[in-house]
Amino acid sequence: MKRSFRSFTILGVLVLILAGTSGCASTPENHYKSLPQTHTIEIKRMVFSPSEITIRKGDTVVFINHDPLDHDITEVDKKLWSSSPLHPGKSWAKEIMESANYYCSLHVVMKGKIIVQ
Amino acid sequence: MKKRNAFAIVNSTLFFALAFALTPVHAQQSLKLSDAEVASVALTANQIDIDQAQLATKKSTNADILNFAKTMTNDHKAVIDQAVALATKLNVTPHTNDVTKKLLTDAEKTKQQLEAKKGKEFDKAYIDNEVAYHKAVINAVENVLIPETENEELKALLQNIVPALKTHLSHAEMLQKMLAQ
Repeated sequence: MKRSFRSFTILGVLVLILAGTSGCASTPENHYKSLPQTHTIEIKRMVFSPSEITIRKGDTVVFINHDPLDHDITEVDKKLWSSSPLHPGKSWAKEIMESANYYCSLHVVMKGKIIVQ
Repeated sequence: MKKRNAFAIVNSTLFFALAFALTPVHAQQSLKLSDAEVASVALTANQIDIDQAQLATKKSTNADILNFAKTMTNDHKAVIDQAVALATKLNVTPHTNDVTKKLLTDAEKTKQQLEAKKGKEFDKAYIDNEVAYHKAVINAVENVLIPETENEELKALLQNIVPALKTHLSHAEMLQKMLAQ
């Protein structure tokens, strides 16, 4: 009798748990989407590509220098962050917390934009 | 006609475009220079531009000019490294020649003109020279050197360097406008 009651209780708890989670949006896909993502910006032929990206707060942006010359990545407006000179073939990653305009301070006409949703 | 244009351009300005003209094919067809002579011209032309940038570093106090000069120095050094690597691969030993001497003569004149100027006058003269120089280089590379180059490795190198030249030009033009204000 006691065993039956315990089984019933456990079953009840499981049902409640399932019921509680069935209406929740926490599917594996959504859980994955909620994690910080990594985005890649290639520096090639003296251009940031893509030159504009939209990301979520906390995502990481990786810059890869494919050019035969050094570049850097510097936030424009407040000079809040900047990479050191990025040698050919090297990459640099930055966690982005707010929207930013950036440029290469070595080649000041090279510009890009990161929009945080 | 193409041959004459290429030679005239090279002789009238301080080009580093020839940094890439290190193949026997190009030397024979366009410039009538040996590999060793082309290598000498290439390295000399690059070094001349570095020297001008270093002169700007010494004479200017304008932060934007100093930044531009630093970029020119670093980028041209990178070009020299690539040119040396290619020359080495092609087994070319640089040999001084008439074009090299002409480049050095012109460079000395430009240096004297720039050294005679001070302050904003120097900045303007330096940037004006850089704008004209890069326009001519881009024209020479796109319309003369690339079309005439048969070596695919060299052609690719030329094509890859054009965006950098255009970026240098845009940078110089931006400074030119800024100085005119």
